[in-house]
Amino acid sequence: IATMEDYDYLFKIVLVGNAGVGKTCLVRRFTQGLFPPGQGATIGVDFMIKTVEIKGMKVKLQIWDTAGQERFRSITQSYYRSANALILTYDITCEDSFRCLPEWLREIEQYANNQVVTILVGNKTDLAERREVPVRRAEEFAEAQSMLYLETSAKESDNVEKLFLDLACELIREAQQNTLDNTDRAPVPGEGKPISYLSCCSVN
Amino acid sequence: MEEAGSPAHGRGGPAGLSGTPGDPAGLSAVRTETIETLTELEDLERVYAQLCAEEADVQRQLETLAGQQSNIETKMLVLQRMGPNLQLIEGDAEQLSGMINFTCSLAENVSSKVRQLDLTKQRLYQAIQRADDILDLKFCTDGVQTAMRNQDYEQAAAHIHRYLSLDQSVIELSRQGGESTAVDASLALLQEAELNLKALVTKRLEEAVATSDLPQVERFFKILPLLGLHEQGLAQFSQYLCSQLACKAEQNLLVASGSDVSERRAPVVYADTLTLLLEGIARIVETHQPIVETYYGPGHLYCLLTHLQRECDAQAQKVVDKFIQQRDYRNKFQVVQGSIMRVGPAEKIEPRELDPVLCEVTLMNSRAELYLRFLRRRIAADFEVIDAAAPESLVSEHQQSLERLLKDCQLSRTMQELIGFYIPMEEYYMRETVNKAVAMDTAEVGQLSSSMVDDVFYIVKKCISRALASGSSDCVCAMINHAISVLETDFREVLVCKLRAGYPASALHDLQRGVSSAVSLMQSSLQHGKIQTLGIESQEQAKSTYLVTLNNVEMCSENISTLKKNLESDCARLFSQGVGSEHAQAKIDSCLSDLVNTSSKFKDLLQEGLQDLNNTAIKPQVKPWITNFLSVSHNIEEGEFSEYEANDPWVQQLVVQLEQLMSEFKASLSPLIYDTLTSLMTSLIAMEMEKTVFKCTFSRLGGLQFDKELRSLVAYLSSVTSWTIRDKFARLTQMATILNLERVSEILDYWGPNSGPLTWRLTPAEVRQVLALRVDFRNEDIKRLRL
Ligand SMILES: Nc1nc2c(ncn2[C@@H]2O[C@H](COP(=O)(O)OP(=O)(O)O)[C@@H](O)[C@H]2O)c(=O)[nH]1
Ligand SMILES: [Mg+2]
Repeated sequence: IATMEDYDYLFKIVLVGNAGVGKTCLVRRFTQGLFPPGQGATIGVDFMIKTVEIKGMKVKLQIWDTAGQERFRSITQSYYRSANALILTYDITCEDSFRCLPEWLREIEQYANNQVVTILVGNKTDLAERREVPVRRAEEFAEAQSMLYLETSAKESDNVEKLFLDLACELIREAQQNTLDNTDRAPVPGEGKPISYLSCCSVN
Repeated sequence: MEEAGSPAHGRGGPAGLSGTPGDPAGLSAVRTETIETLTELEDLERVYAQLCAEEADVQRQLETLAGQQSNIETKMLVLQRMGPNLQLIEGDAEQLSGMINFTCSLAENVSSKVRQLDLTKQRLYQAIQRADDILDLKFCTDGVQTAMRNQDYEQAAAHIHRYLSLDQSVIELSRQGGESTAVDASLALLQEAELNLKALVTKRLEEAVATSDLPQVERFFKILPLLGLHEQGLAQFSQYLCSQLACKAEQNLLVASGSDVSERRAPVVYADTLTLLLEGIARIVETHQPIVETYYGPGHLYCLLTHLQRECDAQAQKVVDKFIQQRDYRNKFQVVQGSIMRVGPAEKIEPRELDPVLCEVTLMNSRAELYLRFLRRRIAADFEVIDAAAPESLVSEHQQSLERLLKDCQLSRTMQELIGFYIPMEEYYMRETVNKAVAMDTAEVGQLSSSMVDDVFYIVKKCISRALASGSSDCVCAMINHAISVLETDFREVLVCKLRAGYPASALHDLQRGVSSAVSLMQSSLQHGKIQTLGIESQEQAKSTYLVTLNNVEMCSENISTLKKNLESDCARLFSQGVGSEHAQAKIDSCLSDLVNTSSKFKDLLQEGLQDLNNTAIKPQVKPWITNFLSVSHNIEEGEFSEYEANDPWVQQLVVQLEQLMSEFKASLSPLIYDTLTSLMTSLIAMEMEKTVFKCTFSRLGGLQFDKELRSLVAYLSSVTSWTIRDKFARLTQMATILNLERVSEILDYWGPNSGPLTWRLTPAEVRQVLALRVDFRNEDIKRLRL
């Protein structure tokens, strides 16, 4: 069990999106640097940890890779609430996976905390000739939902590192903003509070 | 190295080249022409002498040669005598050479014959082999026919097996040989017999399977691999096993559906039925694996179980379908889903009604997990035997096949679906039951906390334990996540609300304080946004609610830590073995670690609550008591000092008042919380005292009086809290020291280099400020001090 000294920040990142869009591949690419050949579909949720260094700070990323199928939905839903960031993934060569996004957003709306950072990711850019979702359309959609947007290829390792590191930077920014806000309002006496990112204020 | 490195070495010119020229033996070193050119006497004499010496030399040599003549003649004579002997030898040599030639050709002759013999022997062997094979063929042909006629299929199959293991090329050769017709006939017969036997055995096995004739099934099942029909044998055999399985399963399901609801196992009857099915398969493996291994060899269990799994899937589905129907499982789920989403009519389900079905589902899943683990273990062990000698690609293919079988089978999917429904229902159960516990909360007199804390944690534990019983790590994680949400959000909110109602200021003390205080109370109440309209009784109620809530909050943070610890060890025990157990544990540990955060949220809440209590209930009371200090003059002489001694003017009453004030809290708060509250109060007193003292004036004896008072107060406060309070009173103690000085300059005995172990908490300016409180100290002296 990790002690507090291991890292400066700990963030939970949850990947969601239809089955087969490449969530597991993105996570494997980022955490293990490989593109797994022919692994089966994810069962339930998978869990990986990677610690990165950003501006001299150790940032521990706890990455939860979820299964896209309906029958695992209630398992994956339980992870939304404590997630600091969500990576909503679709496959640029699969219109269907894009059309399901509103449904995913409804889930996020319902279960995630309202400070969660959501990023939309269009994966499999290496299959450009089979693209079904134009970049413009995805960008407009992301903007309308005030989400960040990025296109990746887990296979070619395009933008994968960037995806996670950008996300970590954004989360650090928000966490720092948060602690500032908290100390502004009411300094709590007694023992120092561990950094809490989701501190829903007790007396609203 | 050395040879290559020194090419010059050993390659010097031949020795002959270095010999002195012009010194041939027996020839004069002086040439005639040279003599002729000589004109000087001296030269002539020298040459003459040289020639004389040479002559003497030659003479000597001639004599030696002459001396040898007889010797040479003797030798010549001997040689002449040897002549005839040599002729004899020549003859002998010629004869020998002839003999050797003869021997040589003889040897060559023999060796070629040996070679021929070898070849012949080899051919002979081949011939024997072929004859053997033909004999075998013949024997097999005859044997098969006889065996077939006698319905001795085992024997027949053994013959066919022998035939099938014959070298096909040899048979081919034999057909080309002289006996072609006979062999051909045999072969034709054998091939026909093979086909016949295959068809016959297959058919007989089919019949045996159809009639569930186990001895016959086993009999023909054992024959098939002899005919090279492994796959088919396993397929047909599993068909038999499947039909047995199906038959038993249908009976079991029928019994289950018809069982009396009053029976002890009735609430888990479908889980039991599923268990019977899965145990049945396990028993089949136990019983029949030895036959398969003996007659089919290792590595065939996977094939058998793939067939069996199809039946298992079908039968399990039937059980689950019946379960869903009989228990109204899906409908219950939809009602729950509806009330979670707050859509549709307010149809609500009693959480109690869910209890049995939730238990049954987790039991079903745990059985399935157990069964799948059993399959994994058995198949992996069976593959292992052949993997040892197999290429890597085959090994990984085996692994993948096994994974696919386990992960993609319908049983797995069905169970995943059931668990998918289970989780929201369990969550609903947990939330609703927690709400009930909150609604039914009662605080027994004499109990520090109220019933809901125990109840809530009992419920949370029960739900997570039930999830644990399912044996699915994902299910456990999901319920831990939900439990955290319920505790951190729902339940914490309940406690926050109770604390937000606040601790009412005491009416009793207000009365004592008189009208002006009552007005200030009114004001403070207005500031708090609520006008005190409660009667004394409900005020007491509100007070006790507040204090009970503080105890509850503390208990929560402790219970959460305990919950985490217990779950950790439970999970470690449950997920300690098997493939992927480490990963499952890591997931669970990660979810559990969030409980640390939850616990500290309750600690923070406790701290806030205590701070609030200190501000609303303690501060307004304590402040005037301390301000009373001002009404007791400290600018006193001997007479007043003795009177104070006889009749304490302030501190004793303060102690009594504090004791009275705190007794209520001491009785109603847990020792730890009470201690923290006392500590807060102590800080408050120290702060207020300091402010008050600065408003006072002191004589020398007044300073002494203050010192005595402070000592009494510190002694009292030390006795009521386990925290060290010396530190909080350090400034005040130092002020008392200063107020006790004889002269202004005496401060220098304690200051700077003379401070010894004392660390001054007062700034020089503050020291001057305190000195100035002494009426008898002159301002100039204080100003002149160099601090
Ligand atoms: N060409 C291409 N294929 C990908 C990429 N990412 C994933 N895939 C393939 O898409 C399939 C599904 O990937 P997976 O990571 O299991 O999807 P998940 O269900 O979202 O976890 C697999 O066959 C992957 O090989 C990518 O970036 N490019
Ligand atoms: Mg996946």
